[in-house]
Amino acid sequence: MFRHRRKANDFNAEAEAHIQFEIERLQESGLSAEEAGAAARRAFGNVTRAQERFYEARRWLWWDGLCQDVRFGLRMLGKTPGFTAVAVLTLALGIGATTVIFSAVYAVLLKPLPFKDADRLVFVQKKNPPRGWTRNNISPAEILAWRGESGAFEDLAAFTQHSCVLTSAGQAEEDPCEVAESKLFQLLGAAPALGRTFSADEDKDGGSRVALLSYGLWQRRFGADASAIGRTIDVDHVGYTIVGVMPAGFSHLYASPYGTVPAMWLSGIALAPTSTWNDYWGVGRMKPGIDLRRAAAHMDQVSVRIERREPGLKGWRAQLMSLRTMVSGDTRGALAVLMGAVIFVLLIACANMANLLLARGASRANEFAVRNALGAGEGRMVRQLLTESLLIGVGGGILGVLLASWGCQGMAALAPRYLLNSAPGLAGGAADWRVLSFALLTILATTFLFGLAPALQNARPHLTETLKQTGRGAGQSRRSGRLRSVLVVWEIALAMVLLVGAGLMVRTLTGLSGVNLGFNPSHVLTLRAPLSGDRYEQPHAQAEFWEHVVAATRALPGVESASVSRGLPIDDWAGQFFTTADRPNPPAGQVPDANYVVVGPDYFRALQIPLRRGRGFNEHDSGAAGRVAIVNEELARWCWPGQDPIGKQLRPGSPGDTAPWLSVVGVAGNVHSQGPDTGFHAEIYIPYGQFPWLLSPEHLVVRTAAAVKPDIVVRAVVQAIHGVDQGVPVADIATMEQIAREPMVQQRMVMALMVSFAGLALALSALGTYSVLSYSMAQRTREIGMRMALGAQRDNVLRLVIGGSLRLAALGIAVGIAAALCLTRLMTDLLFGVRAADPATFGAVTVVLVATSLLASYIPARRAMGVDPIVALRHA
Amino acid sequence: MSTQEAAERLELLQGTLDLLILRTLIFGSQHGQGIARAIQQTSEEELLVEHGALYPALQRLEDRGWISAKWGTSSNNRKARFYSLTAAGRKQLVKETAKWERLATAIGRILAREAAGG
Repeated sequence: MFRHRRKANDFNAEAEAHIQFEIERLQESGLSAEEAGAAARRAFGNVTRAQERFYEARRWLWWDGLCQDVRFGLRMLGKTPGFTAVAVLTLALGIGATTVIFSAVYAVLLKPLPFKDADRLVFVQKKNPPRGWTRNNISPAEILAWRGESGAFEDLAAFTQHSCVLTSAGQAEEDPCEVAESKLFQLLGAAPALGRTFSADEDKDGGSRVALLSYGLWQRRFGADASAIGRTIDVDHVGYTIVGVMPAGFSHLYASPYGTVPAMWLSGIALAPTSTWNDYWGVGRMKPGIDLRRAAAHMDQVSVRIERREPGLKGWRAQLMSLRTMVSGDTRGALAVLMGAVIFVLLIACANMANLLLARGASRANEFAVRNALGAGEGRMVRQLLTESLLIGVGGGILGVLLASWGCQGMAALAPRYLLNSAPGLAGGAADWRVLSFALLTILATTFLFGLAPALQNARPHLTETLKQTGRGAGQSRRSGRLRSVLVVWEIALAMVLLVGAGLMVRTLTGLSGVNLGFNPSHVLTLRAPLSGDRYEQPHAQAEFWEHVVAATRALPGVESASVSRGLPIDDWAGQFFTTADRPNPPAGQVPDANYVVVGPDYFRALQIPLRRGRGFNEHDSGAAGRVAIVNEELARWCWPGQDPIGKQLRPGSPGDTAPWLSVVGVAGNVHSQGPDTGFHAEIYIPYGQFPWLLSPEHLVVRTAAAVKPDIVVRAVVQAIHGVDQGVPVADIATMEQIAREPMVQQRMVMALMVSFAGLALALSALGTYSVLSYSMAQRTREIGMRMALGAQRDNVLRLVIGGSLRLAALGIAVGIAAALCLTRLMTDLLFGVRAADPATFGAVTVVLVATSLLASYIPARRAMGVDPIVALRHA
Repeated sequence: MSTQEAAERLELLQGTLDLLILRTLIFGSQHGQGIARAIQQTSEEELLVEHGALYPALQRLEDRGWISAKWGTSSNNRKARFYSLTAAGRKQLVKETAKWERLATAIGRILAREAAGG
């Protein structure tokens, strides 16, 4: 449209030339120069108007208007730096918090997985509903049958996880590894960063052993050297040829977030069609057009056929989960709650902004009236006011995004480790363009939300009324005052909901932290030192190693007791079947199972697990002696209700297994072995001296003296281990307190965020109350002066202000309680030991809100009580 | 020319100015004052063109690509902005002329009938 923009001067020259031509013509027809000039100009019409018309036609007028509005808006905002700072900061906090949570929602729930057609990928586990099993590992027999006989999948690949010890290229270290089928990489559509993935030949038992490195391991252990390809790496003392490196960030996006992040992938999975060993997971790619339900139905048909061939697999069915659901784990609910909470914060910020703008409009009523009188239309003024709001919005938005980039790091620090595995971008979340677009949309939406009502309100000045009142602190309509009160009531109601949510989370955390775990986690250091290789093939070599390590550790200064174990409360779980001598052949489906913990003699002392009956283990409980076990109270209650468990016999394994019987010599107290929010499980403790072959111990448990922090002895303990064998890797160094906190980490994150949101909400709503009260007091100065002149006491004035504040609070709290009762139910899954409608929490929050309202009315009340009747009446 | 005289002239119908400009330019390029004069003279002083109002129309036609403009020198050696018809403008002129003639005929028919009937 505007191929060549003409300058206004160009047009003016043309108009001038036109008039000159006309003058010349008229002079030729006999007019005098003067007459001709006048006539020519008359014929042309209004030159200035023509110039204006030209100008208007050539310009984007709205752009001009916008520039003008922006300049004017900046000037107006600059005149009231206090208002501007409060407004921008309020909005920055609201937008910042929203952006942080959205970036997490995006990273965890929305961001496309980096695989080809990721929506067709499913994670395959199995379940056995009649027996209450769910999310179990699958066996090669099932994988091969599902793959071969189910028509739902293009392909299905299996992998298994274990930890392995690297002994070449540097110090020995233990890393999580995955043994994966070559298909896995093709199925995911994942290409290596370097080299190649496995070939089908390498899946076989006798095939060449090859390894793929994770990007991290390649960088850490091989210095990102491309010549690592082709080298040999010793894994569990077996040589593997490195054939490739996977790209950074690939490590764990296709498997359970609760698993470990593999450092390496190994070939040679060798699935045997007859194997029912449940140690695998599957990832499948559904055929186009097939959904999860149909795929599951296909798999069920195959499962029915398998269970005829393999009675051991009776009742088992495939459990399919989209990769997205699998990867995001159960954070979905927590993130939804947080997103809801943060939107509430944003709404409160908007209400507060609207409130501030209304108050500002009141003090600018004169300005608006004058501009209106000078011809500014209502639309033009609404536009001007919205532009001002937009300036605040943009300022707040920019600051908010800056705050968010900082907040994302804070959130990543709070986030559970598994969340960081499946959403590696969590810390830098705000830098994503999609997150930034969301922030921009939020800015625009909030600008309209908080700016429109005040703009409409303010742009309709009551001209004569306002101008007449000039000098009296020009008033605003009653309607605007009511609107502001409604906004404050809403703010208080929203704050109430957030406070209740935060309160419930705090109660949950206190509840969880207050649970008696059954052992004493303080002053306990734990680590793992897995033994592998020829040297430790014989159980007695392992026992010997641990005897030396425990002796050396116990001799360290500051160490009270030390023991070894396989399995730690909360950290490790090894469920297995067992049978008792009283009931050696329970029917299928009723075989009892328990957590097996293989322990050294001092284990109960080191963790301070009380012994309820019988005795603990001692040095004599070794291979030669009678085989013994200690059970927990839960097992005793379950298997031998009302009987003395001491002397009873049980043995590990399924019915018909021929393991020797163990005599129960003691009963240990129950331990929350899967975290404080789950109940007790049956547990069997076995002395490692008698059963090193069952589960060889690998945890060292060290209790330090009361005055010694466990961190202090770490170096000495590691030295003690390396003093016994330099080649043993040490991994997972942690205090028992850290381990005990791990199951609560999601609730802790939600709590921390909810508490900060609720705090913000409380502060904003207090600010709202304060601004409404102080404004209405300023308006009523004359009335108050009059009342005082007529004999009202300061008490009466105080009651007036406080009464106003409490009325707002009472309304807000009433609405808030109703809303909270509806909304906190959605949090039920996150709560522990407290009901969503917890009366104590609701009560405490009400008290907090009332107290805050009183606090917010303090300054306006002081000001109102200080009104001098004479001054007030003279100036009114 | 007196005010009295100007008042008796016909005001242009909405949208006809564009057509007249295009028609005027068919004889060759012309500056704004020349166009205004030409319209007035060709209509035997019947039509009133406010010279100032000519320019938005010229600008509009230029924007649509029906006429083009450049600065040049007039016969009496004065600098002026000359407008000329483009190929698209010629096509538009044909179209507009046909449209106008149809309109004029139609209105003429109605008025003739009214006159005859009345």
